[in-house]
Amino acid sequence: MPTIRRVVLDILKPHEPKLATFTEKLSESEEIDGVTSKLVDIEEDVRTIRVTIEGEDLDMDTLEAKISDLSGSIHSVDEVSCGEYIVEDAWLTDR
Amino acid sequence: MNPKERIAGIRRVLGKEDVRSLARRYFVANGFDGTLTSIGVVLGAFMGGNVDNGLAVIGIGLGAAIGLGTSGIWSVWEIERAETSRELVQLESAMMTSLEDTQLTRDFRNEQIVLALAAASGPVIGVVVTLIPFLFEGVFLSMFQAVLLSIGLGVLLLAGVGAYMGLISKQRWYVAAIRMGLAGIVVAVISIFLPG
Repeated sequence: MPTIRRVVLDILKPHEPKLATFTEKLSESEEIDGVTSKLVDIEEDVRTIRVTIEGEDLDMDTLEAKISDLSGSIHSVDEVSCGEYIVEDAWLTDR
Repeated sequence: MNPKERIAGIRRVLGKEDVRSLARRYFVANGFDGTLTSIGVVLGAFMGGNVDNGLAVIGIGLGAAIGLGTSGIWSVWEIERAETSRELVQLESAMMTSLEDTQLTRDFRNEQIVLALAAASGPVIGVVVTLIPFLFEGVFLSMFQAVLLSIGLGVLLLAGVGAYMGLISKQRWYVAAIRMGLAGIVVAVISIFLPG
């Protein structure tokens, strides 16, 4: 059965919890092997962050629930990698 | 939320400098009120001449502690609830989504608890400390000695808080201590010269 191994999400969140706390809490989920978050934009009340999540078998609903619990809101799913291994896209990595 | 999660949540918000700073302000401001009120109550009871035993002074003082403690916890709870509700509405509007039952709202609630407790504990500690000498009235202290010791403890407590604030604000701690301690002496002097 195909499994989601990596997703890249565009997330809107309040200033709190801080980016480090947000990323740390997200990485505590059992299904998640690693998370990288990057600040994209800061507005008066909110921040836009780009979050890359990797795991053996990611479930989008669980991820969405976890992100919502951390006060985040998924704006868009920008990348998804599925299958036996992650296929690096040269077009994406060269950008 | 179970008690274990609540304690973990409270520990998390205590890690935030802005929460600690606000809690300190409430604690010190209300503790200042409590200590000065207690000095006034103690002197009023003594100078009035109607109170002749330490336990009666403790009873009057504890009444003040209950009033000030309740005032602290109630007012700060309501103030913080209004402030966080306003902030939440603003955030939900910016995020275009509900933030109900999220980490953010749980943190808001835990912050409310911490701040309300800080606001209540300040005056209670201030009053209780200044009432301690009256436990020993009639044992090895006279009423007059207990009053003097009570005022002394109140002034020392205020000076201690002043010194602490002086240290955290990188000012001369002894100047801050004298400034705060002086308030206790001023209240005592005014109480002595009040008619009746």
